[in-house]
Amino acid sequence: MAEGGEPVIIEDYLLLEDAPLLEEMAEEDEELDLYNEMTFGIEQDCTEEDTSKPPMPPEMSPELAKAVAEETEAGEDLGPEAAEELEEPQEEGAMEMEQLGSELEEELGTEDQEEDQEPCEEPNDLGDPAVMRAVQSKPTLESQDSAVLDSRIGACWADFGKEDVLAMDPTVWGSWPGSIPPPHVLEDKAIVQVLERPPPSTSVALDFLGSPVQRGYRGSPRLKRPDIRLVPPKSFPQRFLRQQSPLVPRSPCSPRPFAPPRRPPLLFTSNQTTGYASPTRFQPMPPNISRPPRPLAMHFGPMSPSLDPALFFSPSASGQLNLSVPSHLTQLHPQHQRILTQRQQQSISSKKLWSPKVDPYAGLMTSKEKDWVIKVEMIQLQSENTDDDYYYQTYYHRLEHKQAEEELLGGRNKQEPPKLVTPFIQKVETYNSVVRIAGSLGQVAVSTCYSPRRAIDAVHHALVEEATGSHRLRALHKIEKLFLQLLEVEEMQRKMSLAAEEQEQKSQDAERIYQALKIRACSSEEEAEDEFLQLLCVQKGKKLTARLLPHLSPEQAEKILLTITHHLPFLMKKDVLDESLPLLYSPLNKVVGRMTFSKLIEVLQEMSRPLPESPELPVTMALKNQFGISLLYSLLSHGERLLSSDMPLEPRSGDFEMWTDTVFLVARELSQVPKASLVEPLFLPSNLLSLFCRYLDKQTVVHLEAKMECSPLPSEAAMLC
Amino acid sequence: MNYMPGTASLIQDIDKKHLVLLRDGRTLIGYLRSIDQFANLVLHQTVERIHVGKKYGDIPRGIFVVRGENVVLLGEIDLEKESDTPLQQVSIEEILEEQRVEQQAKQESEKLKVQALKERGLCVPRADTLDEY
Repeated sequence: MAEGGEPVIIEDYLLLEDAPLLEEMAEEDEELDLYNEMTFGIEQDCTEEDTSKPPMPPEMSPELAKAVAEETEAGEDLGPEAAEELEEPQEEGAMEMEQLGSELEEELGTEDQEEDQEPCEEPNDLGDPAVMRAVQSKPTLESQDSAVLDSRIGACWADFGKEDVLAMDPTVWGSWPGSIPPPHVLEDKAIVQVLERPPPSTSVALDFLGSPVQRGYRGSPRLKRPDIRLVPPKSFPQRFLRQQSPLVPRSPCSPRPFAPPRRPPLLFTSNQTTGYASPTRFQPMPPNISRPPRPLAMHFGPMSPSLDPALFFSPSASGQLNLSVPSHLTQLHPQHQRILTQRQQQSISSKKLWSPKVDPYAGLMTSKEKDWVIKVEMIQLQSENTDDDYYYQTYYHRLEHKQAEEELLGGRNKQEPPKLVTPFIQKVETYNSVVRIAGSLGQVAVSTCYSPRRAIDAVHHALVEEATGSHRLRALHKIEKLFLQLLEVEEMQRKMSLAAEEQEQKSQDAERIYQALKIRACSSEEEAEDEFLQLLCVQKGKKLTARLLPHLSPEQAEKILLTITHHLPFLMKKDVLDESLPLLYSPLNKVVGRMTFSKLIEVLQEMSRPLPESPELPVTMALKNQFGISLLYSLLSHGERLLSSDMPLEPRSGDFEMWTDTVFLVARELSQVPKASLVEPLFLPSNLLSLFCRYLDKQTVVHLEAKMECSPLPSEAAMLC
Repeated sequence: MNYMPGTASLIQDIDKKHLVLLRDGRTLIGYLRSIDQFANLVLHQTVERIHVGKKYGDIPRGIFVVRGENVVLLGEIDLEKESDTPLQQVSIEEILEEQRVEQQAKQESEKLKVQALKERGLCVPRADTLDEY
């Protein structure tokens, strides 16, 4: 134990569980004493230390005190104890660390042991208490390793709401005796080395939340211009925000007040002139935040050989504190200090009105993790296939159109829409689920975000169709499979510049889907057995067919039409709930429009075929169904178009009779069906009436006209009737 | 600030109070602490809020991890406006009782409806059966 009234350097901030004012005052008094002593060289009586502390080697100097175990002790014991602790041998220091328990994380303890502890060289028996010494002595716990500080922060974190800590600050920040390292100190190579270390290049910014440790580390004071400026409370958040990388979203500021450590003043040169606080120099955050701020992580980087210039740490720390009071740079009289800090406290407390209560659980998701999520999302946006993100694509198209319009109208300079800059990530097109390294036994598990884990080559071989018993399930499964194939076909179609072989490929794929549909037109089989019909019973199956039709050859399309017409009553019945048959109308309409007359007759035959189960004709039933009536009208209209055109029809024998029979049949049914049950078609062709005119008498036509709610015929057409 | 124009992300919503509606109809209110690319959510200090009529009751649930696919919608709660609501908060027991009563009434009316339809020869499949596949 250093006797002889060594000035006890009151250690860095303390986390007191309670900070009674009394303690503060006591501390302040001590500081005052210290200050006076340092300034005026007054002998100070060393207060009796706790004799329970183990004896210290005399060579240890008290200056570098460790911030250990303060939280359990009263303030007045601080100074002497700190000195004692400082002088403790390394192991004890470590031990003491452990004693701190919850405050410090484990790593801290181990880390401490790992740290270089400079052997004490200078004897501690110099008479002059004002002499700063022992740079070589065991560095302060805190100075060595801002993990301690970190732990303090952690403790603060846990002790959310202890504003007392803030109150502690002024005292802590009190005049640091002898902020200028005495000359002899500078002769020490280690110190000089440390002091001359280049200033930190890494940023401080975002880490305020969590890794003051890291900041602490990398910063180092500038020897020449100890320019440590503390940001005044107001400007701090603004600056911080400004310098934030766009990538990193703003995390809620958590200006956790905690007392910054008191650093040994040794680190400052004599030529420091600034005794005034200036805002901390905030370094802009690097665009890619590689280091995640970790609130409670002990992050140990390379340690300084002797003194860790933990001083550098304080700016950021105090920045966090929103203290504009300079630290040990100033040689303010403690009372002056007090006044300043009091003023500050007031401003801080007034700030509390607008800032929400600090959320201690905030920051669970570190910015590294946020960046990762953003990255994944951006990767998802990178896609050749426009199907992948419809909203994103549409948004951009619209934006571009709008800007193009504006450009045309306003004639302004071309404004580029803000393009989303996605990180260029090599997308793995093929996923090798199993990687076989040559010469190795077994397989290596390859995981990507597309497929988390595939350790073995297990491929699903069972056929799903056999497995599932339910017809419906099978149908659904089939629809899904075919839909995917259809999407591929459409994708190919969309790539407008189709080379010959690609078109071939496309038609092959379409063919494949068609074959898979297993269409058996006009089968007399049980409808429940017909797979295609089962597909058509499902809305998605109808959608599939509707979208597939344009890609099929005319014969295939006609076959589908024939099947549908043949089973029309069945389909109409099944569609009562869904009402999704109209989906098929549009593509079928196109198919009809291309049909030959003979084919048309064939289709119409289906509609007039009497049904075994029901007295009604399909035609009649169709009239009561929107899709049915629309299809019927479409067929008739096409027939009429063909007949009235000059194109050679090449009818087969019996076609015309069939045609006229159908027309009569439809007319009859139309007139018989009560108006109420007649459904409005999706589209009413205009040439129907002229068709009827051709074959029927005027009266009937008029009657039908009323029924169908057609627009009345133009006069010449009416004359024909 | 949206540094990703044309996109939506939950990153901005971290550490804010949210109301989350789940697919099973539950309403959760909690602080959104963490997300991932599937919009799986970690909710902190979660409260399950049951609404019956003009009353509601809160059941504190702690921490929730919600699989993204089960979320119907979620939205940020304005802490200032949170309190001015015409709804009346009641105790848990009361709201559970109210809920039970409401479910019972609903079930009975449903039963009557199905019965009436059956008598008329109609069979309306219940919407939830479609989900069974």
